[in-house]
Amino acid sequence: MKKSHIATLIVFLAVIPLTLALGSRLSGRTYYVSSTLVIAELLIPFFLAFEGRRPQARELAVLAVLCALAVAGRVAIPIPGFKAIFAIIMIAGIAFGPEAGFLVGAISALASNFFYSQGPYTPWQMMAYGAGGMLAGFLFDKNRLPRKPAVMGVFGFLAVAFFVGPLLDTCSVFLVLSKISLKGALAFYISGFSVNVTQAIATGIVLLLLGRPLLEKLERIQTKYGILEAEEGSGQI
Amino acid sequence: MTEDAFSKRHPAVNFLFFVGAIGFAVLIQHPVYLLAGALGAGIYYLLLSGRKGWKRIGMLLPLFLLLTAVNPLFNTYGKRVLFHIFGRPYTLEALLYGGAIAGVLVVMLLWFGCYNAVMTGDKFTSLFGNLIPSLSLLLVMVLRMIPGLIRKAGQITLARKAIGLGAGEQNRDKIRHGMGVLSALTDWALEGSIVTGDSMRARGYGSGKRTSFQIYRMKPGDWCLLALMGLLAAAVIAVSCLGATSAEFTPVLSIAPVSGIYALGFAAYCLYLLLPSALHIKEELQWRRSRSRI
Repeated sequence: MKKSHIATLIVFLAVIPLTLALGSRLSGRTYYVSSTLVIAELLIPFFLAFEGRRPQARELAVLAVLCALAVAGRVAIPIPGFKAIFAIIMIAGIAFGPEAGFLVGAISALASNFFYSQGPYTPWQMMAYGAGGMLAGFLFDKNRLPRKPAVMGVFGFLAVAFFVGPLLDTCSVFLVLSKISLKGALAFYISGFSVNVTQAIATGIVLLLLGRPLLEKLERIQTKYGILEAEEGSGQI
Repeated sequence: MTEDAFSKRHPAVNFLFFVGAIGFAVLIQHPVYLLAGALGAGIYYLLLSGRKGWKRIGMLLPLFLLLTAVNPLFNTYGKRVLFHIFGRPYTLEALLYGGAIAGVLVVMLLWFGCYNAVMTGDKFTSLFGNLIPSLSLLLVMVLRMIPGLIRKAGQITLARKAIGLGAGEQNRDKIRHGMGVLSALTDWALEGSIVTGDSMRARGYGSGKRTSFQIYRMKPGDWCLLALMGLLAAAVIAVSCLGATSAEFTPVLSIAPVSGIYALGFAAYCLYLLLPSALHIKEELQWRRSRSRI
């Protein structure tokens, strides 16, 4: 068994249940602490898998470029609030598979917060962005979904509006509500929905217009230099 | 923030301080502790950011009031009903609870404001570089590339403008222009990344265990500070286990008094929070005094 697999098992079978058990025993309002610790612990197996693979220099450099592009992308489009970060993370996932998508998402979130501000939401953002990239990688892997502009655009819209956005809103729910109730949580999801839809539209547009060209560029790099290639379509990078 | 005395300490000391300060802030909802937290974080934040800091603190106040006022709408427990709204009781207890939660958030945001000034990217990666070498190298590369990409995006925008392809007034044109810039930027950056990767390989990346240059060393003063922090934190945790920091708001208001041995724990908490500010002020005074002697 690989080291990272053992670590994954330990995290899921021991560390997370222990966190939840301890969290429920502490007095006071510990939803935020427990949930954030669990989110951070969920990141560990992914990161260990990456460490365990001992990535090659070229692979590392390409992944770094994708993360930096995702963060710097917002200066390219002169419309306030029009962010390309989700779209670029998803393209990374589609081109290089779910694991690379997760990594690019999580690292982009962390790096972007070094320029804006780290906060109580950082682990949640890393998880949510990473999950977005992973979902894209999984759904477009092995031609489950055709890599057509329209399909990618619709996927980007739906994924941000109903998956990544609500995941980020969950952080606010745990952070702000004193009693977690369905009603209170719903109020947060509904009030966050308009923001999420704006982001989702931006993501959809970027994927629709830029998805194909960027994928071609990445595929060209992949075939020209033979990096980050799937091992006979197994989805591994 | 090179002038700040606490920032000049070893990154591990800085990081552990924030873990403690933010951890306590999240877990303790006792109003007196919250007030101490707000003061401790606020003072250090102002010392770090000067006049600009007031603006951010001013922005946090409306957030605090809004969250306090909203909480009773979702939490209707409590005996003392102030009035009814939407047919639901709006209770004093829930209002106070809302104040405590909003306070926790404000204190946390203030500490994160200090964290951002103290724990810069280089300190973060030097601290975790040996633990997660590939990831922290990836992070360093990303942090290094972002300013370069932003500069390059500016150049591409200028070049496009010069050949008459600049962004128009309408959002449609702006988006089309943005896509062009992003596309050019990607091409340039990807080719560059291959060159970077090959260069890294040529210099021996991956040929052995990677060591990292350590600019920070734990000095005796750092160990002392760390020990003091540990002692104070242990005192807070100890009295907290005895129940000094318990505060229940709903359904019945019950807040532990700050007296006797509990007051000792509170004093330890205050001391802990004031450590960075005290170091900062001490060095500032020393500097003034030595300057006035000249």
